[in-house]
Amino acid sequence: MTLSEAPTTSPALVTTALEKSYHSTEPPTRVLNGIDLAVRQGEFLAVMGASGSGKSTLLYCISGMDRPTAGNVRLGDLDLTELSDRDMSRTRLTKMGFIFQQAYFLSNFNLRDNILLPALKAQPKERAEVEARVDAMLQRFGIAHVADHGITQVSGGQLQRASICRALATKPAVLFADEPTGALNSSMTLDVLDALTGVHRDGTTIMMVTHDPACAARADRVVYLRDGLLVDELDLGTWHQADTSRRDGELLSWLRDHDF
Amino acid sequence: MYVKYTLNDLRRNRGVNSSLLVVLVLSAFLMASGAMVMERTLGSVNALFDQAKPPHFLQMHKGAYDEAALDAFATAHPEIDSWLIEDMVGYDSAAIAWVRPGTTESGTLSASLIDNLFVTQNTAFDFLLDADSTMAYPADGETFVPVAYQQRFGLQAGDELRIRTDVGIEDFVIGGFVRDSQMASSLSSATRFLVSNADFERLRTTGGSSEIIVEYRLADPAQTSNFQAAYESDQSLPKNGQAVTGDMIRIINAISDGLVAIALMFVSLLLISIALLNVRFVIRGTLQDEVHQIGAMKAIGLPNSTISGLYLSKYSAMTLIACVIGGGLAVIASQALTSGMQASYATAPVTALTFLAPIAALVLVFLVVIAICRRVLRIINRIEVVSALVHGSTLNEHQTARRAKRLARRVRRSAFASYGGGDLGRRISLVDLRTEVGQWMLLPLVFMLAVVLITLPTNLLTTFQSPKFVTYMGAPESDLRIDLQFSDDLEQVREEAETALATDSRLAQVRRFANELVETRGIEGWESMRVEVGDYSGDTIQYLRGGPPSTGEIALSVLNADRFGVDVDEAFTVRRDGSEMPLTVSGIYQDITSGGQTAKMSGDATGVVTGYIYYATTSAGQDPTAIATNYGDQFPAMTVVPMGEYVSQTLSYVTNAFFNAAVLAIVFAIGVAALITTLNLTLRIAREKRRSGILSALGFSGSELAAQLRFKAILAVVIGTVLGVVVAATLGEALVGAAISLAGLGISSLAFIPNPLLVYVAYPLLLIAVGTISAVAVSSRLRRGDTSAWLRA
Repeated sequence: MTLSEAPTTSPALVTTALEKSYHSTEPPTRVLNGIDLAVRQGEFLAVMGASGSGKSTLLYCISGMDRPTAGNVRLGDLDLTELSDRDMSRTRLTKMGFIFQQAYFLSNFNLRDNILLPALKAQPKERAEVEARVDAMLQRFGIAHVADHGITQVSGGQLQRASICRALATKPAVLFADEPTGALNSSMTLDVLDALTGVHRDGTTIMMVTHDPACAARADRVVYLRDGLLVDELDLGTWHQADTSRRDGELLSWLRDHDF
Repeated sequence: MYVKYTLNDLRRNRGVNSSLLVVLVLSAFLMASGAMVMERTLGSVNALFDQAKPPHFLQMHKGAYDEAALDAFATAHPEIDSWLIEDMVGYDSAAIAWVRPGTTESGTLSASLIDNLFVTQNTAFDFLLDADSTMAYPADGETFVPVAYQQRFGLQAGDELRIRTDVGIEDFVIGGFVRDSQMASSLSSATRFLVSNADFERLRTTGGSSEIIVEYRLADPAQTSNFQAAYESDQSLPKNGQAVTGDMIRIINAISDGLVAIALMFVSLLLISIALLNVRFVIRGTLQDEVHQIGAMKAIGLPNSTISGLYLSKYSAMTLIACVIGGGLAVIASQALTSGMQASYATAPVTALTFLAPIAALVLVFLVVIAICRRVLRIINRIEVVSALVHGSTLNEHQTARRAKRLARRVRRSAFASYGGGDLGRRISLVDLRTEVGQWMLLPLVFMLAVVLITLPTNLLTTFQSPKFVTYMGAPESDLRIDLQFSDDLEQVREEAETALATDSRLAQVRRFANELVETRGIEGWESMRVEVGDYSGDTIQYLRGGPPSTGEIALSVLNADRFGVDVDEAFTVRRDGSEMPLTVSGIYQDITSGGQTAKMSGDATGVVTGYIYYATTSAGQDPTAIATNYGDQFPAMTVVPMGEYVSQTLSYVTNAFFNAAVLAIVFAIGVAALITTLNLTLRIAREKRRSGILSALGFSGSELAAQLRFKAILAVVIGTVLGVVVAATLGEALVGAAISLAGLGISSLAFIPNPLLVYVAYPLLLIAVGTISAVAVSSRLRRGDTSAWLRA
């Protein structure tokens, strides 16, 4: 079975024979070995794999933050590998959102300004609308009361929820998340997962890299990466609170099959 | 361990270390060059003085004199070791031409304004020395030409020198070139050509003006000023020309050449400041980058002194290398810089000081740099293990909390509160600059110093070159200067000249000043003083204090006022024609001519007049050069020069030194500005990787990130440059004024006469362009940046 054939609705994101090698090492390190992957419109996809399997590299190559060595990436009708740096940046700004393991924020700005920044850049003429949208999100994710705080004055969970706000502020077509709960304790992790699930319910396509089964269990589908190749996938269907233990069991058993 | 760490670090951070090394090398190089040029100059002058035995006191005189009175004076003064009367024949520069046999090359010496005096070799002292520092004795038909002319007109031995005398052309072959201890400096108003006794006697009878110098060498040179007073108080002795003491000769020689050394030292001091700022910046950055390593070293129990020692060993090694390379370069450069000087004077003997001077300068550079390094490295003592390992911070808990509080206060107000949809990148950059002002201080400081470095020598140059500089020469601003020196037919020439000047429609205004010798009471009794007597009404010269003299008043030069200890409105008595005249000091002005010791009185001269000076303003549209040539031809006894030419030739040596200093300063300032901008921005890119990664991930392109860095850099450069212009115009003027005042030239308050277009427009734009080009070059690296690598940094 070709993994890319899984989607039943039109794909939001497709990679074909994606390869990435790093030439700074001797001999060069081949991290991605020809990845064929399709993510459906509105799908929540989790990418799992052991450390060093190429999960984060896959995410960076797809989002244009790293240039693939070969193969291509399509976002809707757009071939991302053909784009100039400028157009790729524009695409990242208007069509993609990012959540990282570490909360990457600018320390010279308060939380709200950090969230406003990409949205204002995308829609500089519609400041009032952008601000209203951001303020509504701050309310929704429960961080409105720390909006004018510096980034060193808030908790990790609040920062990660601010990351989600920032990623959504530009109304992206795809949300990328790289180990979004990797630096959080269990209660904060739950907060962030609930937030992501909520965003998915609103129809946002999400591609998440994680090695935490609890996170992956929230996804519609999980793919497994080993040595730069997609080797398997597991369709979990849409997440429901009541269904948690069945999904967890199914996922853990699948992971055991991959010696995870 | 230290050596291994140092070598590894030098290899790893090659870019940053090599830039730092270049700045250190330049600082060491300039400091050592300054010290060497200074030592060589003084050594050259002293060596020439030892061999040539210049007089301790000399008095120039034109016209008849009483030889018996000189004999009587010498007999009455046992402090005289030896004395002589040197006969000289003066020829105007325009009357002397040169021809290179076998070629078409030829020219005249007319561009020179100083007196050309033909003499024979002295027998007792005041010798003219050839290239081998031996006494030159030209054969008949041969002449030895001053080294200054050799350099200025490119003369060679074997060239022919043709002098137009009253009876025809006298031909000489240039047999060589002579160094003149007394008149070597180009601040001197005359220069001497050596001819044989027979040729001299012939020249004396075929025209030219006859002059003498009475020269004395004293048993104790320290008694020169007493001796001078004794000479000047004797009415029977010849003294209608300039009187000069040995000290004055020595000081003038040393100052004119010493200026090059002073300029080098000045440039090197500014460079060292830049190097120190840079060292501080690099060390702080390095400690920040390596805070995890430092934390780990502390964690395993290495003492602070060992950790500081690792870094100190690296900077000590770099400074040592810089001092060695800089010193080596200085040896080569100072040879080139002093070759002209050694031709004018004598080859300085190599003494212990020859080596000690540059070594002391280099040791000073080394110690200052290391002291600053030690100071900055004290940060290591304050670094806490947990802060370093966990938070990657060089700050301790208390400092971190304080900084977080400060930042929190600062970010509370939205950065976009007043954002109206303009360039978002610039808005972000401004916020960065505001919150990281400390990290952006280096560039403005360096550019400020660079502007000062470029501007001051140029301002000095344009000030000394400006026709308005005559106000520092005790003369009114005018277009033409006419100098009528003492001669037997002085009054006759004066009458003819004044008739011509009065009826000349090309001249709008002519003022006449007579050079009169009066006497005044000095420490040792009555002594002579030159006074320019004439019409000082209206706006003639600028006074530092007080105003022009009216009847019963006298204005004094700064040095004379100091010498006699008088100020404005105080009484001052002179003796004129044997009778005492009580006067009041009306004003004090600046004057660098005649050793800075002059005075001015209004009215007509009544005593001994030694010459006249006229200052003429031309009518609109008239060319002063054409008028000068015209009068020069009509009255050969007069020296007629356009004012600009007079200033530039009189001060040519000083202005040449300033020109060299200005060129040197521009080259260094541009080089250093480019280097530091590149180094600083390279380090900023490295330090801002995380920021670049975040913005890139959010959708800012590499070009936009580059534009932000450029914006910040150029803003910092512009601010620094503007500050530099302000500092150079205010503090710089005060500093240079104080230095010039200390030099004892007769200027106590120097106001720059800048070329506004050059120093306020061209130079700042040049520096901003250098900063911009460097910023563009460095920031372009951001275009090729790797977002994921930045984020992982």
